[in-house]
Amino acid sequence: MTNGDQFRELIEGYSLGALDPEERASVEAHLASGCVDCGKALEEARWLVTQLAYLAPEAKPSDLLRGRLLQTVRAEARAMKSAKVSSAIPLWMWGAFAALLLFTIYTAWDTTQLNKQIAAINEQAKQEIAKRQELEEKFAIAQREAIILTDPRSVKIPMGTENKELPKMEAIWHAKLGIVVSGLNVPAPSGTHTLQLWLIPKAKDGKPIPSLTLRPDADGKFVLLVANPPDAMDTTKALAITEEPAGGSPQPTTKPIWVGAIS
Amino acid sequence: MIGDEEAPVFLALLASLGIVPDSREVLPDATLVQSLLRQDVSAFEQLYDRHSRQVYGLVLRILQQAATAEEVVQDVFLQLWRNAAAYDAERGPFVPWLLTLARNRALDNLRLKSERQRRREDQTDELPPVATVPEYEKQLDGRRRMERVRSLMGGLLPQQKRAIELAYFEGLSHSEIAEKLKQPLGTVKSWIRNGLLRLKEGLQTAS
Repeated sequence: MTNGDQFRELIEGYSLGALDPEERASVEAHLASGCVDCGKALEEARWLVTQLAYLAPEAKPSDLLRGRLLQTVRAEARAMKSAKVSSAIPLWMWGAFAALLLFTIYTAWDTTQLNKQIAAINEQAKQEIAKRQELEEKFAIAQREAIILTDPRSVKIPMGTENKELPKMEAIWHAKLGIVVSGLNVPAPSGTHTLQLWLIPKAKDGKPIPSLTLRPDADGKFVLLVANPPDAMDTTKALAITEEPAGGSPQPTTKPIWVGAIS
Repeated sequence: MIGDEEAPVFLALLASLGIVPDSREVLPDATLVQSLLRQDVSAFEQLYDRHSRQVYGLVLRILQQAATAEEVVQDVFLQLWRNAAAYDAERGPFVPWLLTLARNRALDNLRLKSERQRRREDQTDELPPVATVPEYEKQLDGRRRMERVRSLMGGLLPQQKRAIELAYFEGLSHSEIAEKLKQPLGTVKSWIRNGLLRLKEGLQTAS
């Protein structure tokens, strides 16, 4: 058996990832030397190994996973679009100033007209800067949400409800970046009422700590970002959501609808 | 709260439950992946809805835990979203590449948990190469391919099948399999190689 034959016999094991480190290193060195036969055999073996995936039965992941993924992807897509829009602003501004400069050199406008033009451009520049700041803030929020949702250090807190007709919610708490609470098909509270998040402290007589309020949108989508939770995760026993009057309450006025214990 | 494109999201959700007909044009995987480069969320949704069951099924088979499997599936699809340029449609079909990515991530997770990560010298973020379709390979559709592969694997010697499954689904090396099955190393290598070659012969015959 030639040296090439010995390597050829290891190609299937290599493509499966089953070689021990020393053998793997020697096969990689042999492939890097440009052996055509082994290279061709590797391509076929790689394809063969991909077919083994069909041995696993299909299974449906949860709808919450789909919701979480799409939320992250949409946030990142929006952030990319915002970055493109905001980077275009300086060109417009430079264009406006260049046009003004040419105009003042080649026309006979008096000083009053010129001052009016400058004032108008300044006002527009202020508005563009304010718009840019707003976009940057939205970008930062989208980034924060994306990281909270996808960082493996974030803690997932399922929030269940006794009412079988209501969907479950899910909270994801990142120790440094905050909490994202989300749910789909959440019915709107009655009238002008809102849903309010509470942090239930571990301390024996600790009262619920109020957090932010939000109403689900017209399609029942509920996504609440609490960038600065009023208490830390390690001193909090559970999260709860109640229905409160518009603007929220200092203490809960109704029984919790959703509760999630922090393990 | 974030606003969104509500109607397409809910139509797609209802369509996935079989409640309303899916009115989106059925585009090939390669076209959808190309759209990801333009941050096309709708293309991502279609790819997820089309392949999440197979990806999750594979990852769940490897990890045996639903919650961890979902984390890995999330990681896989986010890698696809953020690194769509890594898939080259000229080299081979999309699904095998996606499933290889999923297997690699699942085994990374398994190795971390079992403290065998010292064996994994590769970068955990490395994306797999796209497997090219061999000349003999016929374009079986997904269901017929699954049936064919399962039938061929069922026809292997039990020890060949077992050894291949340990390597594929548990990421064990030849020597780890030999130790687990209490067999000589050379025997295990032969089982795996011969088993895969029989699988190849079977697929060639099917073509």
